[in-house]
Amino acid sequence: MGAPLVTVAIVARTVAQLWGKPLLGVNHCIGHIEMGRLITKANNPTVLYVSGGNTQVIAYSQRRYRIFGETIDIAVGNCLDRFARVIKISNDPSPGYNIEQLAKRGKRYVELPYTVKGMDVSFSGILSYIEEAANKMLSADQCTPEDLCFSLQETVFAMLVEITERAMAHCGSQEVLIVGGVGCNLRLQEMMGVMCQERGAKLFATNERFCIDNGAMIAQAGWEMFRSGQVTQLEDSWITQRYRTDEVEVTWRD
Amino acid sequence: MAANGEENSEPGKLGSLDVPFPSPREATIALSSLSPDREPRRGGISKHLSVSGSTLSRWSADEARILRVSVCSFLDHLQLVVETMEKFG
Repeated sequence: MGAPLVTVAIVARTVAQLWGKPLLGVNHCIGHIEMGRLITKANNPTVLYVSGGNTQVIAYSQRRYRIFGETIDIAVGNCLDRFARVIKISNDPSPGYNIEQLAKRGKRYVELPYTVKGMDVSFSGILSYIEEAANKMLSADQCTPEDLCFSLQETVFAMLVEITERAMAHCGSQEVLIVGGVGCNLRLQEMMGVMCQERGAKLFATNERFCIDNGAMIAQAGWEMFRSGQVTQLEDSWITQRYRTDEVEVTWRD
Repeated sequence: MAANGEENSEPGKLGSLDVPFPSPREATIALSSLSPDREPRRGGISKHLSVSGSTLSRWSADEARILRVSVCSFLDHLQLVVETMEKFG
């Protein structure tokens, strides 16, 4: 990730100086959240941020987006992508999309480890388990790739819904916003929707145009930051791959 | 552009690089675009960028292998700055 970050940073700094414009450094996750809030008009949601690199449950409190729970190893998207590779699912248009389509035809639930640890989740054990199960069961014709896709989705999404619900209960929140690349999975949205309905809460989600990483989300977060008076000095505009969601002071919300 | 060993310090490798720019403005912009990102802290290297007149100069230190990596990436980044200036300046 270092190379793309430094490339964009250098171009942005140069352009900012050439045009005499202020520069703003934006946290990637904050970009997702602000884009989601703009598009869905969610006011103060509990946020589930699920992508290939991150899995976090976030809620806003006192000028910070606070992380209530997260993965303790790999991200949920990473788990899905790597599983797709093991059973040789196509990357076109994306492994996650193809798993979702295959899962619709799954008939049998293969039991997998369910690893919620307090407010956190873990996916690496599930991945190892299903890798082994896939090798054994597929060759012995005990299940189909569709069954495995179905079982994996049901298990990991149930875990995500559980920790999201717990964060909502903790904050007394009645809104959920799903952001990040995995957020365009309709089965995840459906499961989250059921949970929300049971609690009388409202679910906000977007389609792949806004879920998947994009430049507009960075611009939107940057715009909110700029409107509230923030700018990043050039000498402070160094890049980092370790920039946690709760490090940013949210100056644009009450 | 001249890479030359210099006086001070230990057995380490030292080098410097002079990059001419059309004017001090471009040199200053390049300096501000290239200096915020620090060298990896694992280290063995230190880098100093400065502008004198219309020249952006740079010199670094230590083991030859690390020096090569650092100079290579510096040149890549410098090229990116120059191309950005050509496109958007």
